[in-house]
Amino acid sequence: MRRRPGLTSTIALVAAMSIAGCRVNRPAADHSKQQILYRATGSDPRTFNPILITDATSGTLTGELLESLIRVNPVTLLPEAGLAEKWEIAPDNKTITFHLRHDAKWFDGQPVTSHDVLFTMNVIYDPKVPNSIRPSVLVDHKPIVSETPDDYTIVMHLPKPFAPLLYSIGIPVIPAHILEPVWKAGNFNRSWGIDTPPGKLVGNGPFRMTRYVQSQVVQYERNNDYWMKDEQRGQLPRLHGQAYSVVQDQNAAYLRYLSGQIDVYGPRAEEVLDLRQKAERKELDIAVQEIGVDTGTMFFTFNRNPRHYVKNGVTNPKLNWFTDLKFVTAMAHLVDKKSIISLVYHGLAVPAVADISPENKIFHNPELKDYDYDPKLAADLLEAAGYHLSKPGVRTDPKGNRLEFDLTTNTGVPERDQMCAIFKQDLEKLGIKINYRPLEFTTLVDKIDSSFDWDCLLMGFTGTIEPNDGSNFYRSSGNLHLWNPNQPTPATVWEAEIDTLLDQGASEMDTAKRPPYYWKIQQILHDQLPIIETVRQKRFASWKNSLENYQPKVWGLYKPEWIQFKPD
Amino acid sequence: MTQFLLRRLLNMIPLILGITFISFLAMSLVPGDFLSNLKMNPTITPEVIKQLQAQFGLDQPLIVRYAKWLWGVLHLNFGISLSYRVSVTSLIESRAFNTIILSASSMLFSWAIAIPIGIIVAVNQNSIWDRVLSFLAFFGMSVPSFFLAFLMMYFALKTGWFPIGGTFSVDYATLDPMSKIADRINHLILPVFVLGISGTAGLMRLMRSQILEIKNSEFVRTARAKGLSERVVIYKHVLRNALNPFITMAGYSLGDLLGGAALVEAVMNLQGLGLLLLDAVRSLDIYLVMGSVLMGTVLLLVGNLLADIALVAVDPRVDFSSVAAE
Repeated sequence: MRRRPGLTSTIALVAAMSIAGCRVNRPAADHSKQQILYRATGSDPRTFNPILITDATSGTLTGELLESLIRVNPVTLLPEAGLAEKWEIAPDNKTITFHLRHDAKWFDGQPVTSHDVLFTMNVIYDPKVPNSIRPSVLVDHKPIVSETPDDYTIVMHLPKPFAPLLYSIGIPVIPAHILEPVWKAGNFNRSWGIDTPPGKLVGNGPFRMTRYVQSQVVQYERNNDYWMKDEQRGQLPRLHGQAYSVVQDQNAAYLRYLSGQIDVYGPRAEEVLDLRQKAERKELDIAVQEIGVDTGTMFFTFNRNPRHYVKNGVTNPKLNWFTDLKFVTAMAHLVDKKSIISLVYHGLAVPAVADISPENKIFHNPELKDYDYDPKLAADLLEAAGYHLSKPGVRTDPKGNRLEFDLTTNTGVPERDQMCAIFKQDLEKLGIKINYRPLEFTTLVDKIDSSFDWDCLLMGFTGTIEPNDGSNFYRSSGNLHLWNPNQPTPATVWEAEIDTLLDQGASEMDTAKRPPYYWKIQQILHDQLPIIETVRQKRFASWKNSLENYQPKVWGLYKPEWIQFKPD
Repeated sequence: MTQFLLRRLLNMIPLILGITFISFLAMSLVPGDFLSNLKMNPTITPEVIKQLQAQFGLDQPLIVRYAKWLWGVLHLNFGISLSYRVSVTSLIESRAFNTIILSASSMLFSWAIAIPIGIIVAVNQNSIWDRVLSFLAFFGMSVPSFFLAFLMMYFALKTGWFPIGGTFSVDYATLDPMSKIADRINHLILPVFVLGISGTAGLMRLMRSQILEIKNSEFVRTARAKGLSERVVIYKHVLRNALNPFITMAGYSLGDLLGGAALVEAVMNLQGLGLLLLDAVRSLDIYLVMGSVLMGTVLLLVGNLLADIALVAVDPRVDFSSVAAE
């Protein structure tokens, strides 16, 4: 019998494995003593090349090792010094002079100079380098002409005044002495990929990358030559290292936080209560804090694209409904934000009124009045506009067409499913038939982008501080002007007005004088209802109490270089 | 024998071509492409999308892209992953080791448990053990493995005996060599258990029914009539014949070695191929998907071939002419 010893030895092996499993000799188990911050990230980086990045994770991970020309303060939301110590705007509003700090060095000891900045700009403008930064540093579709009078000064000449530049110029500067030869050889698009050994990533930021293991971990150690000092001239950053574990599944990330394997965590609504209880009962020594609401926007929108609805001279009646202000106003009164907040978000959300989030303290318009949830008023509005109940439960337009349309969103987000279900229910009570058709994201994008084959959509966008970043959405010629994209000339007076306001807002260089233009845009979107706002989720952060100076804001960490673990 | 092998190997070529082309077609028929995600980003203009499309070759007709891909494969160039922008080979290589270790250990685990239990249950048919173990087997089969994975993670959290997911600890690099091995094994135990347990139930039922069937066949009766002890009858005659389907299954599992456990990998955060492939399909990262499909196909075909060869070696009733004719 030869088989039996085989079996026994396998069982013995399994047993040995379980015993071996308990004996891992850790030289220093407590990472807080080592001043190493452990965090989780939801996905792998796609590239370490800051110019080629199109995803958030790669941005966060490379952000640790690269400093930008200027930064945006997540509390004041104003640009502040980074590699550029200061900058001046000439009286003609078309020339900006940046003065670089003299003590910034690359990891290999080379100084960071204006040549690096110029090189970075050249790469961004290179048509052979497809990147998402270029559109934000084009002014009037033209590149900015830069000159470098000396090693620490860079002068940018704009074709016309363009205020958003102060936000978009916060691009990470890359080392010319390393990457210029690569770029000249035509290999830039393949440089600094995720297969590049971390030691070859030469940055100038607070941390150096020491190790990356795909879908497991990205590790950093402190850059002891980093220029930033604290009030007592102490070296920053205070942490000696960082480690980001790649944890795709959010439940798994939560368990890791509960077990203490990671130090900071952004809990979901349903986890907030649980964490608060654990903190109160002293099961965990953690802080749980509300840090604000979503910076983005989530809305219902109706398709107003004649290219989709007018075929062979025949107009689909849906186009008439969706461009009828009375119809969409009735729809706005049917979004039951209260129910959405309590049923979908466990009470941890707020009604959204303006398109720009209140977190955008500079540009948010606080004066708009929300459309109350009022099915009775909605019914009256529809009746008054000629959309009558032809028989119980069936509403028809003035020409006798039954009110019926598709409602679409992307699959995989349970919250959106529930919101659509609530909206559908309210509409059907008024005799409007809704065909709910959730679609795979790529399929949905195809419809939004190419075939325009949709009726009503629940959609969300993330927000940025600079409203001009949303030009593709606001502008009538924009490809993300969802309800009627790529218009050769504005289809309506108010869309034309938004186009003008965008131009005016962008050319006003004084930040204090810019908000009125964007307030007006929010007002128009609110009145004309091309988009019907829903809610904004509240955002939370939780972290171990042993951390000091950990100050998460919805726009990012405030003074991250000051973070440290409390000494015992 | 040589002729049989040659014929089987030649048969694989049209199969591989067919499977890869259908996969390519299926991926291309899905509306949208890898860049769809970027299209919904207000800061990315259509010009950038167009440039990226050209860079990735997504603007060419399907047949041209497939031909180019095939041409590359013939030169052992499996293309560049669209989302990771590195070669598909390096991505698969970096994860294959972990997946193979995981799959092989869970296979070993389930076989090591299922076969002896199957024997015990079959030999003591209708006893209380049979009923209890069969019940557990059905239970094990019906619990979804990702759910079991969650339960195990929770177990790990509550007891602190095992790490919560991952392939190794974050401080792995600082450990001494023995601790490194221990750390790896420590991370393997729960996933191996989760993946193994779902396989165990099926295998055990299979073993049970095989033995029961053979126990009542003529040659066993003959063996008993010869006066052989029950022990010899079971282990020498019944068991040997009962193992045939397992050899075939072992062949099939070669394909599973690299595929299998995306959901468990996702939950337990294992650095495996399954998860890589799942993500690739979701994001329409076509060349990465094709690389995995090709590898899975080849492994499945080779596994079948090996199983057939093994079957001939083990079972005198099967010969190459009959296998080849199948």
